[in-house]
Amino acid sequence: MTHADLVIDARDLSKTYGTIAAVDHLDLQIRRGEVYGFVGPNGAGKTTTLRMLLGLIRPTGGRIEVMGAAPGSADSLSRIGSMIETPAFYPHLSGYQNLFVLAKYAGIPVERVDSVLAGVDLSDRRDDAFRTYSLGMKQRLGVAAALLKDPALLILDEPTNGLDPAGMAEMRSLIRDLGTGDRTVLLSSHLMAEMEQICDRIGIISGGRMVAEGTVDELRGEDRLLIRADPSDVARDIVTSIPGIASVDVDREGLHLRVRDHATVDPATVNARLVQQGIAVSGLQWERSSLESVFLSLTSPEGAAADNIHRDRLMEVTHA
Amino acid sequence: MLKRMVDMVSAEVFQLRHRVGTWVLLAIWGVLALFFGYVFAYLIDGGETAARVPEGAFVQPQLLPDQFVATIIAGFPFYGGAFALMLGVLTVGSDFGWETFKTLFTQRPGRGQVFAAKMAALAIMLIPFVLFVFALGAIASSLIALREGLPIDFPGPVEIVQGMLAGWLILAVWATVGVVLAVVTRGTSLAIGIGILYTLVIEGLISNVANQISWMKPMIDGFVRANAYSLVKPFGNAAVDAEGPGRFAGPFVSPERAALVLVAYMVIFCGLSLWLLRTRDVD
Repeated sequence: MTHADLVIDARDLSKTYGTIAAVDHLDLQIRRGEVYGFVGPNGAGKTTTLRMLLGLIRPTGGRIEVMGAAPGSADSLSRIGSMIETPAFYPHLSGYQNLFVLAKYAGIPVERVDSVLAGVDLSDRRDDAFRTYSLGMKQRLGVAAALLKDPALLILDEPTNGLDPAGMAEMRSLIRDLGTGDRTVLLSSHLMAEMEQICDRIGIISGGRMVAEGTVDELRGEDRLLIRADPSDVARDIVTSIPGIASVDVDREGLHLRVRDHATVDPATVNARLVQQGIAVSGLQWERSSLESVFLSLTSPEGAAADNIHRDRLMEVTHA
Repeated sequence: MLKRMVDMVSAEVFQLRHRVGTWVLLAIWGVLALFFGYVFAYLIDGGETAARVPEGAFVQPQLLPDQFVATIIAGFPFYGGAFALMLGVLTVGSDFGWETFKTLFTQRPGRGQVFAAKMAALAIMLIPFVLFVFALGAIASSLIALREGLPIDFPGPVEIVQGMLAGWLILAVWATVGVVLAVVTRGTSLAIGIGILYTLVIEGLISNVANQISWMKPMIDGFVRANAYSLVKPFGNAAVDAEGPGRFAGPFVSPERAALVLVAYMVIFCGLSLWLLRTRDVD
């Protein structure tokens, strides 16, 4: 990855308020074209970081380059669309009029306003005052405003806040569409399920520091196959000989198989092998850490102890 | 660059003129200017002093069209200023309350350009304020002249334009006081409270004290109030240095000096507001 591939390059970024470090020596590199999820608990420093990227807040340390320019500069802002926390518009103006004002400020043709309103399904309410909008409509207008410049980088802070499940699904789908092609999307949220579905890469921030970063699969770690079999010591010897199995751990729950090669190991084959050898198999299931459990283990003191394993049941076999 | 600035200013004017509060301020000020400038004066003095003057003479020449500029502009340094201050507060302070500064500051232009657009729009929005109140004065004085059977003679265009310019300058200074208070307090409520208190009370109180302490007297010459009244005094309204609420008994400075001092205030207040907006974080 070269420097030119980076849309956002923040190094050693800090922001302190008195003795409180809102952001603490944070490194953040976001590549062109990716949908990057920035997750963390409330007060972790997500919004402060995003505000620094947009030039709304000045860092107390470190350096930032956004779109190859200083944050808050005309060069940088002209290619960024953003919605930070709650959408902020003039309550006495309609949705259309608000975007009209922003288009004039941004120096883009006002003809674009109608197309972005249509893109977020607000055309039929374009002439209603912003103060009459529901929370979901306000969020959608915020996204429309962010899209007004047809930006190369879209920064959305908690875009699904306050939305009902249908609204959240709609917003997720919209963001996924927006993230296609060359456009880079930086999305902040504390809703793990949402991020898991949308993002190419995720950074987890806690206490102002980046505590983990990677693709969803990297963060969740490798899948393990849990087998409930009896007798377990014989079963262990059998499965260890199966090609593609990296290791086998046995505990009260059963056998936990770390799989090296998913192409060669499938639960049905493993089950057949065991049954052929006279092993009673009462259950087979993939066990996988959810992003939420990874997040909790990294960001909360109790999280590591809880370490819930989310199990996606693929197959369960019961022997008579 | 110029086109971009024109676009931004037009967007701000658009935003301000769609705001009900702007026109409510104008309407209330219009009513006050009309009633305190003409209606009450006509009703009160017409009855009591009529007996002391020769029969058939009209006792209040300041209510006639030829003096409408002097009469209407006398209200600018007092309640006119208060309304301009509120408009200034609303123009900038609401952007803190609604958090719209964060939206505007993340568009292409820098904070300086956004602020410049807002100030230009505010300056433009003061023009209808001046025109409206002057029009009310012209209409009210004409109606009084008609009722009294007197000729309708308006002052020359030069005097009218000078009066409007002086009025606009006074409003602009008070509006920038409102702007700086809104930026300092990052909102509207406290800014309006402090601003109204200062406009209507504080300068008057300090003036009363300073008038009695010799070394403090020069301070009064620098007050916004003193300079605003000094700017309107040459138009010849006797009410300016009379008694009563909103009246000012001096000291006065020359109108040229007053104009310069008021312009200096505008520059200082705008500069301070801009510096604060550029250096402070938008949380």
